[in-house]
Amino acid sequence: MTLLAQLAGVTKAFGRVKALDGADLEVPEGVVTGVLGENGAGKTTLLNVLGGMVTPDSGSVAVGGRRVSLRRPRDAWRVGVGMVHQHFTLVPELTVLENLALGRRTSRWGLRLGYDALREEVAGLVGRTGLDVPLDDPVRRLEVGERQRVEILKALLKKPRILILDEPTAVLTPREVDSLFALLRSLAGEGAGVVLVAHKLDEVLAVADRVTVLRDGRTVLSAPRTEVDALTLIRAMVDTERVDAAAVGHGADRSLRASVADSSPPVARLGEVRVRGSRGEDALRGVSLDVRRREIVGVVGVEGNGQRELALVIAGRLRPSAGTVRLPSSVGFIPQDRTAEGLVGSLDLTENVALALHREEAFRRGPLLRWGALEERTRELVGRFGVRAPGPGTLAGALSGGNQQRLVVARELHVAKDLLVAENPTRGLDVAAASFVHEELSFLRRIPDGPGIVLISSDLDEVLSLSDRIMVMVRGALVDVPHTQRSRQFVGALMLSGVHA
Amino acid sequence: MPDARRLGSAVVALGALLVTAAIAALGLWLGGYDVGDAAEALVAGSVGGRDALLSVTLVRGVPLVLTGLAVALAFRAGVWNIGAEGQLYAGALAAAWVGLAAGDQPAWALIATVLAAAGLAGAAWALVPALMKLWLGVGEVITTILMNFVGIYAVAYAVHGPLQEARGVFPQTDPIAEGARLPALVEGTRLHAGFGLAVFVALALWAVFRWTRAGFSVRAVGASPAAARISGRLNDRRVMLSAFLASGAVAGLAGGVEVAGVTYALYEGLSPGWGYTAIAVALLAGLHPGAVLLAGLLFGALEGGSGAMQRAAGIPAAWVSAVEALVILAVLAADQAWRRSAALVGPSREAVPEGGTGA
Amino acid sequence: MPDAAVFTAFLEAAVRLGVPLALAALGETITERSGVINIGLEGSLISGALGAALGALAFDSPTMGVLVGGCAGLAVSAVFATFVVGLNTDQIITGTAITLGGLGLTGAVYQARFGVTGTALTLPTLGPVSVPVLSEIPVLGAAFFHQAPTAYVAYVLAPVLWVFLFRTEWGLELRAVGEGPSSAEAAGVRVRWLRLVATLFGGLLAGVAGAHLALAHAGTFAENMSAGRGFIAIAVVVLGRWNPVWVLVAALFFGAASALQFFLQALGMDVPYQLFLALPYLLSLAALAGWVGRARAPAALALPWPRSGPQP
Repeated sequence: MTLLAQLAGVTKAFGRVKALDGADLEVPEGVVTGVLGENGAGKTTLLNVLGGMVTPDSGSVAVGGRRVSLRRPRDAWRVGVGMVHQHFTLVPELTVLENLALGRRTSRWGLRLGYDALREEVAGLVGRTGLDVPLDDPVRRLEVGERQRVEILKALLKKPRILILDEPTAVLTPREVDSLFALLRSLAGEGAGVVLVAHKLDEVLAVADRVTVLRDGRTVLSAPRTEVDALTLIRAMVDTERVDAAAVGHGADRSLRASVADSSPPVARLGEVRVRGSRGEDALRGVSLDVRRREIVGVVGVEGNGQRELALVIAGRLRPSAGTVRLPSSVGFIPQDRTAEGLVGSLDLTENVALALHREEAFRRGPLLRWGALEERTRELVGRFGVRAPGPGTLAGALSGGNQQRLVVARELHVAKDLLVAENPTRGLDVAAASFVHEELSFLRRIPDGPGIVLISSDLDEVLSLSDRIMVMVRGALVDVPHTQRSRQFVGALMLSGVHA
Repeated sequence: MPDARRLGSAVVALGALLVTAAIAALGLWLGGYDVGDAAEALVAGSVGGRDALLSVTLVRGVPLVLTGLAVALAFRAGVWNIGAEGQLYAGALAAAWVGLAAGDQPAWALIATVLAAAGLAGAAWALVPALMKLWLGVGEVITTILMNFVGIYAVAYAVHGPLQEARGVFPQTDPIAEGARLPALVEGTRLHAGFGLAVFVALALWAVFRWTRAGFSVRAVGASPAAARISGRLNDRRVMLSAFLASGAVAGLAGGVEVAGVTYALYEGLSPGWGYTAIAVALLAGLHPGAVLLAGLLFGALEGGSGAMQRAAGIPAAWVSAVEALVILAVLAADQAWRRSAALVGPSREAVPEGGTGA
Repeated sequence: MPDAAVFTAFLEAAVRLGVPLALAALGETITERSGVINIGLEGSLISGALGAALGALAFDSPTMGVLVGGCAGLAVSAVFATFVVGLNTDQIITGTAITLGGLGLTGAVYQARFGVTGTALTLPTLGPVSVPVLSEIPVLGAAFFHQAPTAYVAYVLAPVLWVFLFRTEWGLELRAVGEGPSSAEAAGVRVRWLRLVATLFGGLLAGVAGAHLALAHAGTFAENMSAGRGFIAIAVVVLGRWNPVWVLVAALFFGAASALQFFLQALGMDVPYQLFLALPYLLSLAALAGWVGRARAPAALALPWPRSGPQP
């Protein structure tokens, strides 16, 4: 087994946060290597080191047997490392061709922009890989799957010996995932070293020849695919106790599922709601939905089918262009982007709690806010929900992602007397924090007079395990899933019914 | 507010002042001036004696405190109001106009009317860029700056035309009615009631930010409009509009106070650029209203002492603008240095609001 | 009806007043395309004017004046770039400080050199040069092609910069840096270096614009003589939709607005001249209000990069 690249003992700290703490990675020739780990385990940072995006604090990076110093992406290409990033690195305003041309100096002084040769080269590559894209459209007009193809084309144009893909499947439909994996296999067959970070364990198991697991910035396992099974990998990824805790949480709510009274009047009602999206088309096309107390309505769908707009409308944050909306007075909302919408990083915890509570009578006196009462409440929430912070005066931006989400959940649960809207509430959280959120949601559903809950998520498993009713969002419309059809296969197929591959 | 933020602001401000003083002294030395003489003159001319302190420094500080508060208020809301200068001129114009047209109302009513007119005019001047920002999406930075020039020329037109003094010799107005003038605060000095007003506005703003929902709304919107809208259910546009107009009103008040308390007349070049100096004042103060009071008076001392420096050491008065620019740059650099050394996740203080810019 | 001579004189003044706006705005177009908005342009402009005055006097040569003026503008923008590109400070506030400092410093230097009440300075002027053949065109020829050499710099630069932006790899990289700096960096573009160069280029042209103001237009230097032209130039960039060719057209349009007072005076109309002085600013506001909906700024304009805080 020839090694194309080898990273050993790599460390990297961002401020006080240690992202890598002695991580290793081997990239053999002709092999697909899967990299696994919880969020924050350091996967992306490690691959960024190999891609030249991050300079390590210590440790060695060797490519082709020679020790190298990769200070910028260009250095990485020179030694044959191409990278497809987790977040798209395309410039939306430029055309596909311009994006592909970017950074490729073809003329000596950069004084000419020759597209003809590039066009020909891309055509050849498209013929070989099947990655078809409209070359003269601005990237902003492309759908996510197409953008992903452009990213891969861009990396392949540099003829890399090592191709790194950081969570490329997160935005793809199952059919797109299949063809991507086929492509990766054939690239490995041609002798390339492919490194793949995937969100889902089964995806890595499906395509990888070797598996490397990171935990807390360290490589804890590295073995051929044939020698490991799913359970071994999960045990390597997380602390065992935490896995058990998560499993218990899920078991508990499942047993209580059937107890919801369907006869109570709805606390929230949407009637034929329409919302015009940013691209001028209807993001919501006549959506009707009733939510009753003590039920979890799960809404699942492929990203970009109108879930964002639905969440904002039912949380009372967006006025629809048509239709009726009847909402209760106290609505809690857990937005998916906690750093941009849920919290203000430069304000302290009390002020962040005040953000949602400043309307409540108990916390104001005329035009004044009762900061004493707010601080008291913050202390209480921080303690009850296990937010790890020195005190209510801590800046929210100084908390870890999991603790930020705990704070948001604590606050919004407190606000949501009648209705709670949770939008991808566990995205980006590790297993422990995610199971905390799941437990709180299912707890809320068991208390008398609890709020109605709308769980909007692109994670099918989350929706399946928590919801009393499931709706699928397809192209701005809601489709009911009959109780008898609550299977992964059926719902999955429904999700994709409106998606053109 | 956490101590870390307050400490950060203080460290940054002090560091910035030290750096500024060092560079300014170096500049004077390179320019062939006697730095010792200059410093001596600066101190003597600003705080060396009762008259220098009360009639020069504090009087010069009043418009700087008020415009500084206007800028701090806007910046706190994430509104890049660079237009305090124009709003000040609008306020001065309105104050002079009301003061000239005054009849025989009682003095307190007249003064209230003059100041109210100044505030309203300043708000009106801010309304144009505010509406352009919120309705048309035109960034307020350029529009507020353009409005400054319009304001300056509007005053120029007024004192050359409709409001020119009866003699028609100089481009200035006649003195405003006696009853429209702000009373002296300390007999025998030029210190007028406007100083008390500036202190009051500073304390009031401080209280509003600290204790009220309105003030909290402004801080939340300024720190993150999206979070304020989504999590706080605040109407971020309305909050920005209110803060923008209030900022304009306070800047307008500065112009009114200057006319009613110091010059008693309107003329071209009334302000030596207070509206711009205000940015240095607000930043040095870390956008805290209480600290703006201190920073404004500090700059008042600098401007007051610059006259003495010119007389004693021959240092050009324009040098002060350069020093003010240095203060801003030093605050920015010190802020960056503080953030890096603190290595906090996210911003450590509020000198520069997050989120959108007015570009 | 005004005769052709009056109209030609009006056009000549329009171009003469439009050229400094055009030069500064063309430079700012490149700067803004890289994602940097230089509110300190006014500082570069006034420094360019003073630099030109001092240079022209020292070498007794207007050409050397333009050179020194350009360098002065460049030096001021270098300070700006050190802060916004080097230290990643806020562009708006830094730019405001640079303008304030530029106006103050030039005032202080001028006062120190020529005295506070100094009588108007007389400088070696940058005289008009006629372009053969073209200047013979009736009415327009004398207006457009009997101008100071700096005007021809602006004429030539507009199409050249257009080609640069849209037909060269450098231009592509520059646009990418302004639209998506992180993406550009991932593609191997040196973001900060390009931003630095683009900002310095903008400062250089603003300096030349200031030199034109002092040497070709006024023939003297006065404190604050830039009179907000740096800010108008930034508005001109918006009106020209960040496209060099349209930026030149927009700048000449504003020159015409400024020249209107001479024209109307020639017509014998009695309108207060302060109104004319305010006209370019009012026009800028009106144009921004009416135009901006159709223009789109570079996506990363005025945003610090890299974003502060640890990267995920």
